[in-house]
Amino acid sequence: MRRTYEEINEKIKKGDAVVMTAEEVIDVVERDGIEKATKEVDVVTTGTFGAMCSSGAFINFGHSEPPIRMGKVLLNEVPAYAGLAAVDAYIGATEPRQDGNAEYGGAHVIEDLISNRPVRLQATSSGTDCYPRKEIDTYISLKTVNQAYMFNPRNAYQNYGVATNSSERTLFTYMGKLLPHYGNATFSSAGQLSPLLKDPKMRTIGIGTRIFLGGAQGYVAWEGTQFKTNAAVKDGVPLSASRTLAVIGDLKQMSSEFIRALSFKNYGVSLAVGLGIPLPILDEDVMKAASVKDDQIFAPVLDYAVQSRTRKPIREVSYADLRTGQIEINGKNVKTSSLSSYAKARQVAEALKKQIASGEFLLTQAVVRLPEERVQVPLDIHSQEEVR
Amino acid sequence: MTVKKFLLTFSPEIAGEPITYRMVRDFDLMINILRAEIDEHGGRLMLAFEGSGSQIQKAVRYLEDSGVNVKELKEFIRKDEARCTNCGMCISICPTAAYQMDRKTWKVMFLNEKCIACGMCIDSCPPGAIRLRTQD
Ligand code: SF4
Ligand code: SF4
Repeated sequence: MRRTYEEINEKIKKGDAVVMTAEEVIDVVERDGIEKATKEVDVVTTGTFGAMCSSGAFINFGHSEPPIRMGKVLLNEVPAYAGLAAVDAYIGATEPRQDGNAEYGGAHVIEDLISNRPVRLQATSSGTDCYPRKEIDTYISLKTVNQAYMFNPRNAYQNYGVATNSSERTLFTYMGKLLPHYGNATFSSAGQLSPLLKDPKMRTIGIGTRIFLGGAQGYVAWEGTQFKTNAAVKDGVPLSASRTLAVIGDLKQMSSEFIRALSFKNYGVSLAVGLGIPLPILDEDVMKAASVKDDQIFAPVLDYAVQSRTRKPIREVSYADLRTGQIEINGKNVKTSSLSSYAKARQVAEALKKQIASGEFLLTQAVVRLPEERVQVPLDIHSQEEVR
Repeated sequence: MTVKKFLLTFSPEIAGEPITYRMVRDFDLMINILRAEIDEHGGRLMLAFEGSGSQIQKAVRYLEDSGVNVKELKEFIRKDEARCTNCGMCISICPTAAYQMDRKTWKVMFLNEKCIACGMCIDSCPPGAIRLRTQD
């Protein structure tokens, strides 16, 4: 059985497409088998809602009178990168407020903007003949700016490690608060709902794929940073952090339901991004991958007390085990916590399903596929000669 | 049997009194000390009393008569439902399982009666949904 993008989109336009979330389709496949399920279902929607540090937004503020070429830019006292044209800036999610307040940062600015709250813009410049103004202090909102689009260099990690802590003290990490002596374990992938785990070789996801991003329709822009394809696999699913996506979408269309600023004690600020990808059920292979369950997806347990990039996994656990709330580490029962919200991941997949079913969201075929082979290199200390 | 949590504040003069001992002996209460801070300015004790409602009431009156300021703690922390993303980070932090995952809806419920006011969860919540209730 084969289906084309055109056929699927025709059905969507007519309101006839059968759309299911990646969770719902598991039951259908169990009941009817792959072959029948492939015939029945046109599109499977995925979703995730987790901390994605490599996120941020480009903003064009518009020109003031007289005009300014913004050098230093602050948004609610959070520095934005302005080494671009006169009134363009990039606000990065993890940038802290310049007064050192660790609980407010770029992610909060982004959430404030999306929630239509006014944001203070302060900019300074040395002044030029064409841009004489030297400073500006005003308020902006998404209504006042020209473009505001999220561009996230790395989102939607295909799988990710489970964090725990063997040491004597509590660790505060980007994987959350880790209690001493294996006091708990945290994980972040949405498992059976997570977009890239449901199309592990990325047959249907590539540059130009239309996605759900923070409530808006966004697009896959590029391979994400640290994209890699050489992780070990089990049943076709990578066993550790693997592929990633760079994505783009209009901030003005987003909703604070699906974008949330986060603050991790002693680590800093991050952004929770709701991201969903529709999978066109082109054939049985796509369906097979899309209906993989939590008990077939595994992640390595890593000890964050080991401060090295080459931590050896303590063991492997399935997402089904992680979701029970408890796993075993070295003979001890350890409570688990998810850092990403499964409830929200579901909400993303449901929202995307609704948009497709109602004809608002059409599927796109990737313009270019992402690399089939990519190795992630480390950063080592080199002399000039060595890197030539 | 009921369990009630109280914050007791007292001046240094009373700090030497065997308050908890009398609670057990005279009022037949089970006492769980949740927090204790005593210094030159006096003391702050956070206690959970378990016993019959009338005995708890009598004990509170006794404490007040002895010059202790007694305040019932109905809520030590509050989960801001609009801010909570239902991630579940707090679940593995809380020592008394006051946070529980509903495995049908995957929403996180906070059971106030289980909270022993240890404070561990407050700095664990990434979106900042867990707030300390100010005890004024
Ligand atoms: S850690 Fe915070 S956001 Fe997550 S479930 Fe607990 S209260 Fe909600
Ligand atoms: S204060 Fe302590 S006991 Fe109460 S909910 Fe938080 S972690 Fe649990």
